Amino acid sequence: MITRRSVLQGAGGAAVLGTLPWNEAFAEFFERSQAIPYPPESLVTACGICDSACGMRVTVKDGTIRFIQGLPEDPHNEGRLCAKGTSSAYIRNDPDRLKYPMKRTNPRKGLEEDPRWVRISWNEALDLIAEKYTEIRSKYGQEALLAISRGRPPWFARLYSALGMERVDHNDLCYGVDIVISNQTIGRHTFAWDLENAKYIVLFGWDMVARAKLSLSNRLLHAKENGARVINFNPMYTATAKFADEWHPVRPGGDLAVALAMIHVLLKENLYDRDFVSQYTNFPEYETQIREHFEKYTPEWAEKESDIPADVIRRIARQFGSTRPAVAPLHKKTLAANYENAAPLCHAIAILNILAGNIDRPGGHYFPRTFEIPGLDAIYRPPAYPKLPAKRVDGREKLPLAGGYGMFSTLADGMLNRYPGRVKFLFWNNYNLSSLPQRRMMEEALKTVEFMVLVDILPMDAMYFADVVLPSTMFLEGSDIIVREMAAKSPFAVVRQPVVGAPFEAKSAAYIAIELGKRLAPDYFRKADGSWISPSELLDEQVRRSGLGQNFADFRKKGFVAGEKPFIPATKFATASGKCQIYIPAFAAKNYDPLPNWRPKRDLPSADYPYYLITYLPAAHKRNSTQNNPVLFEIDGTPYVHIHPSTAARHGIRDGARVRVRSRAGEAVGVARLTETIRPDAVAVPHGLGHRSPWLSVAGGKGFCDNDLIPAQTIDELVQHGNWLGSGCIMDAVVAIEPAV
Amino acid sequence: MRSYGWLFDPKRCIECSACEAACKQWNQVETGVNVRWRRVLRQESGTFPNVQVTAVSMACNHCENAFCQKVCPVRAIWRRDDGIVLVDTDRCVGCGQCHIFCPYGAPQLNLATRKTTKCTMCFDRIEQGLAPACATVCPTGALQWGEWDAIEGRGSDRLPGMAYPRQMRPHIRFVTEPWRS
Ligand code: SF4
Ligand code: SF4
Ligand code: SF4
Repeated sequence: MITRRSVLQGAGGAAVLGTLPWNEAFAEFFERSQAIPYPPESLVTACGICDSACGMRVTVKDGTIRFIQGLPEDPHNEGRLCAKGTSSAYIRNDPDRLKYPMKRTNPRKGLEEDPRWVRISWNEALDLIAEKYTEIRSKYGQEALLAISRGRPPWFARLYSALGMERVDHNDLCYGVDIVISNQTIGRHTFAWDLENAKYIVLFGWDMVARAKLSLSNRLLHAKENGARVINFNPMYTATAKFADEWHPVRPGGDLAVALAMIHVLLKENLYDRDFVSQYTNFPEYETQIREHFEKYTPEWAEKESDIPADVIRRIARQFGSTRPAVAPLHKKTLAANYENAAPLCHAIAILNILAGNIDRPGGHYFPRTFEIPGLDAIYRPPAYPKLPAKRVDGREKLPLAGGYGMFSTLADGMLNRYPGRVKFLFWNNYNLSSLPQRRMMEEALKTVEFMVLVDILPMDAMYFADVVLPSTMFLEGSDIIVREMAAKSPFAVVRQPVVGAPFEAKSAAYIAIELGKRLAPDYFRKADGSWISPSELLDEQVRRSGLGQNFADFRKKGFVAGEKPFIPATKFATASGKCQIYIPAFAAKNYDPLPNWRPKRDLPSADYPYYLITYLPAAHKRNSTQNNPVLFEIDGTPYVHIHPSTAARHGIRDGARVRVRSRAGEAVGVARLTETIRPDAVAVPHGLGHRSPWLSVAGGKGFCDNDLIPAQTIDELVQHGNWLGSGCIMDAVVAIEPAV
Repeated sequence: MRSYGWLFDPKRCIECSACEAACKQWNQVETGVNVRWRRVLRQESGTFPNVQVTAVSMACNHCENAFCQKVCPVRAIWRRDDGIVLVDTDRCVGCGQCHIFCPYGAPQLNLATRKTTKCTMCFDRIEQGLAPACATVCPTGALQWGEWDAIEGRGSDRLPGMAYPRQMRPHIRFVTEPWRS
């Protein structure tokens, strides 16, 4: 709040305005976090919509949530929230929510079929699942089991491991490639950049601020306040571009060329941090190879692949090389990172950061400082888990260096063609069909599954293929300890607590996993004394062992704990050599490129499909998971197709008219928005929306799904194309456009 | 008596619409009836690649000399002592005069009730010592709220492209200085 007193105490009042730089003249207005008033009776918790997990204060009145605001003391969100967190009570209170366990009575599956749900009790549901699991496993063996689920919550992870279920998640659609590259180059994957102390920031493709992961966008904001120079390469002008001092509309996929040419300049002109590079990297060992390798990637060459003038690339490289500290953050699903050339791009950007000498240094890319919370397996040690089948349905064993769990982009092909009919028992937790490339293929694959369990909070499309549905709680109804790695410069832990009770018969993931565990793999869910392990005891233990309090109730009373740790820059890195690796020997051993080579993205414009498809993330949504929130739907619900006016004119498409977008894989119809903020050779659509389930009263049948335009992959294609780390290419498509009637 | 107003910095606005979402939640404004008390307006200028985008989060500016109030035929709009302009829905006949005369699109017709509603400056929060919902959540501090005395002398009274009826004296000021001056 701005008061007269604060202004008079500030920079000296209005009289000096105009002689002061703005950040001094207005400084008192932007002294933010501590000044936010909140009702004293409000409860502390943490948002569960994105990984930023911002601290929240929730005001509850008469059992309903009245207001949600940021937790002022939380260094990540500094007392603020984005639209998704602010309006999350609308998810909690969604009238469409799943209320009771149900089972299907119509054996035919598909979106055109009514499953004819029948309400059953929790015990019936759990018994039925246990019975089917046992039957299928004894009939078809372990290979018939599959979980489509994240590894979190840890309870589910334990259940899948105990049951010997292969697990697939969105690893390839997200930052899987970046994780592998980070592990190989700097030893650890992080989303942490000390932007507020950086002086020069190069953002490739990243719409950092509109992603509204506030822990990151706040850092960029402070960077601007502190006078950093920000460069943004992106085919589309975004909210991030507005923060940037320079916006360069790079050709889609051309970021890699720019990054390679920047490395060329840094090496040629010796504009790198010599102390860091000679002490902490394997540059000295491979210097000749490295220098030779980048010789060919001149700015003049890069201009042809990126449309960024050579002199601009050269200037930016020189500024990047001579301004300290400088940093080039990379985040998942930037417009560049999910093309087929994602691996060399991540590698090139890692090299830029290493050459800038900024790994775990102030103003650079750092390793998060957090509280160490012992995990489920550390507290309740499980017996050895059964070995998983060697041949995975998604074929990931063919990409031995690819990390994480599974590949969504090859899963449907695996289930339909590679191993038809192999998956008989499927446990599906909290993903939506519209998250998968070519969801219709996945639907066909799901029809071949004998028994499918679905755990979710809303009746999403996947429910049309489920045999049993279990309603789960959402984050405002559960308990947890939140320490986040994103942008954590010093340890901070915040409580997650049930601010309101669960609606109807919804149950927590822990309940579901433990109850199924008791029935199917009791040894993994028992303590040494024979009693069942318990979620509340786990939390107590975790709080106690990590020093956050005496027990969870105590921690809950505190709300949050902030720790102090002096920032001691790393001198050893968790790679094979203990050094930052510009040259990756493990890649060389596998015949992969040990240094990043130029390669184009997968789909390039042709006569049939003349335009690059660009997908962006609407700031007000966490993709399909928030589309049914009526407030967010109202803010951003129209499926806009962004087209440059000159391009639209060529096809007779008018602003606001319906437009059909076609790719080699499918088509979608949206509403044309003509804009000067996009390259004329590109068309932009929002990513990951478009439900079809009519059970979703707000979002059902609205919008379109960009994944219908994205070609799915086969594992052999990935291998043939040298896509060794398994990029899902979920942004890699080219399209044609035409007016739709 | 003290009155209140807004300070808005368009260069900080990340177009996230948290302000709009917070407004809906606190004020329990219905969805799906075309009523958005606070909205983020976006204005593009220039041509590719020299394009600029200005975003403004706009609600009622609680004008000192409110046209909406002046034109209301049934006197459903009034201005409190603290400067907050409110609509009395019981009196409102939904004639839309205020919609025509307010240059900021603040009064809006609820399609379900056929009555005008608009931003109340969260007077109920202010009375409890809290800031309005929208300004409380704005992640970047682009949208600020406070005592008008303190804001009035600050920033600029208009933005290019924004309506500025001099006589109405809207309680909003803009920070138009660039990041570095
Ligand atoms: S902004 Fe519009 S509605 Fe608000 S007081 Fe002024 S004229 Fe009335
Ligand atoms: S002051 Fe309150 S009513 Fe007005 S826009 Fe902000 S949140 Fe909405
Ligand atoms: S909350 Fe703040 S940054 Fe977000 S749209 Fe509103 S004014 Fe802009």
